[in-house]
Amino acid sequence: MTGILFAKWKTFLRKPWDFVLFTAMSILFAFIIGGSNDMNTLKIPVYADEISDNLDASLEELEGYHFSWLDDEAKLKELVENGKAELGVILRDKDFEIIVGMDSPNVSMVEYALAGIYEKRMEREKLTLAIEDFPKEEQERLSKEWDSLNDNPVFSVQSSTFRSDDAIVYDSNYHFLFGFTLFFVIYTIGYTVLPVLTEKQAGIWDRMILSPARKWEMYVANLANSFLQGYLQIIVIFLVFRYAFGLDFHGKMMETLLLILPYVFTVVALSMFLVSVVKTVQQFNGVLPIVSLSMAMIGGAYWPLEIVESEILLTLSKGNPLTYGMEIVNGVVMYGYPMEELLFPISILLCMGVVFMGMGIHLMERRHI
Amino acid sequence: MIELVDLSKRYKQTEAVKKVNLFIERGEIVGLLGPNGAGKSTLISMLASLLEPTSGDVRFQKKSVLRNPQPLRKVIGMVPQDIALYEDLTAEENLHFFGRIYRLKGKELKKKTEEVLEQIGLTEHRKDIVKRFSGGMKRRLNIGVAMLHEPELIIMDEPTVGIDPQSRNYILETVKRLNEEKKMTVLYTSHYMEEVEFLCDRIYILDKGNLIASGTKDEIKDIISLERALSIKADRWENEFVTKLKGNPLISRIHVEEKEITVIVPREVNMFSAIIQIAEETGQELNSVNRKDPTLEDVFLHLTGRALRD
Repeated sequence: MTGILFAKWKTFLRKPWDFVLFTAMSILFAFIIGGSNDMNTLKIPVYADEISDNLDASLEELEGYHFSWLDDEAKLKELVENGKAELGVILRDKDFEIIVGMDSPNVSMVEYALAGIYEKRMEREKLTLAIEDFPKEEQERLSKEWDSLNDNPVFSVQSSTFRSDDAIVYDSNYHFLFGFTLFFVIYTIGYTVLPVLTEKQAGIWDRMILSPARKWEMYVANLANSFLQGYLQIIVIFLVFRYAFGLDFHGKMMETLLLILPYVFTVVALSMFLVSVVKTVQQFNGVLPIVSLSMAMIGGAYWPLEIVESEILLTLSKGNPLTYGMEIVNGVVMYGYPMEELLFPISILLCMGVVFMGMGIHLMERRHI
Repeated sequence: MIELVDLSKRYKQTEAVKKVNLFIERGEIVGLLGPNGAGKSTLISMLASLLEPTSGDVRFQKKSVLRNPQPLRKVIGMVPQDIALYEDLTAEENLHFFGRIYRLKGKELKKKTEEVLEQIGLTEHRKDIVKRFSGGMKRRLNIGVAMLHEPELIIMDEPTVGIDPQSRNYILETVKRLNEEKKMTVLYTSHYMEEVEFLCDRIYILDKGNLIASGTKDEIKDIISLERALSIKADRWENEFVTKLKGNPLISRIHVEEKEITVIVPREVNMFSAIIQIAEETGQELNSVNRKDPTLEDVFLHLTGRALRD
């Protein structure tokens, strides 16, 4: 078995182009699409008129919004009119105005957030007026107390989900990174499992069957090679995003790498099944993209499954290994699922893997190539 | 050494091999001759225990291989029709890989690799990637891999397909040398009758899954001892001439090629004058009419009415 693995490893070192290509494509797509499609942030043009103090800091503190400051009110209105912005905000000293291009829940959310900022601002002004005649030390003490009360309110609201103690923070950077990683690894693994077919057709397996090597050793060595190459690709991609692009995986990179193993196993098994049903390399070249693209679309690699409403698609996604792979990595990194929550997708993946592997090897052995 | 008893293989509606009986003695080179699709590859796959027959038995040293293939597998070497090599590895790496599969290690593996590279004439190309080899070099390495563990019986499935005459001669000489020097038993399948004639002590002829003839070269040629082959040559053929030849009751078989027609006729009949007369009647210009010594090709033509390469 080590002999086969050694030969595969040498072949890989001499011809690493598939691996390099799919790794590079994962990184590129995750970087470009993840970076440009910040689905969680609403971009709002803002123009300030006659403001005595600076509202920049207060606006920046609002999560989920990105305020871009304009120096011309007409330009803001033009952006909204042309549909380039969903809404725009004009800030004045005592009030604000929202220019609405498209009626959506975001309007009332922005209005609510801005009202909160203005309310605080007015309270502060009231306080300043009320203590205007106090000695300077007293003014400073009351001012500090006010700040302290605001920072540590009597009542605080903590958001949590039924599944996790942490608040849900959807981050498109992570979603696309995971989506494209799990998608492109299907190709890397698929094309490393394919030699099981081509080597059988060429007679290499016949030679090995006649040798003292055991059949199971031949399968294990070939599939272990596919598994290791697929896993190595995921490690490389994650390391690139961790150290080159500074994505910290919320401190859970090691857990993610560990819990993604069942997905890699299932993709190896699925590839084995595909290789067992095709007759030629050309057929495999046709089938693999169809399967992988369908898996990616249905499994939520390109967009979160939460936005899918079609019952058919949601039902189909339940038979898709990529759905569970995404559930695991998103669950670990973004939603902070506890291990008990992850056992379900892990079990499903392992079951799928065993079934695909069993069917694939059985079909392969039944055929005379 | 090995014996096939009523061996058959059926794929759904097709019977690829039909009740074939065959034996191979230790130290001989046996040829399995037949056109493409005759069932040669299926037959040798069953012989090598790689494919289960539908019926019949394969016996190695009088014991059934179907029940226990291991004793046969230990002494067998296989040269498949395709290039069964890792093309991204070098010649030496391929030999090391297959050597390791055969549990060869360390000095022994090195020594065997050297020997085989020498035998197949690839010592100077040992570090070259196989992908860059010529067709002939790949074929030689394909054979070399099968020789690595010094098998007693080597099965060669059309080992010279698609290579230049020089490489083919080299391979044929290598096979002959292996048989003479190492006493290796060889089963050689081919649809090139001249290769089989050159190499083999005994020959089996297979057509459409049936064994249609077997014996030594002379015994097989004696099949047409009551007949003889005539070769007619011309630059082009008049349709009427060919039609008349085909209609001649004395001609038992006819095979038409671009510039040569081979006819099988009874030995006692002088067909020369008859052929010249037909040519004159039909306006056919001839270059020559010659009597041929019977070849295996003629035997195949006699037995099936088709040429081996049809």
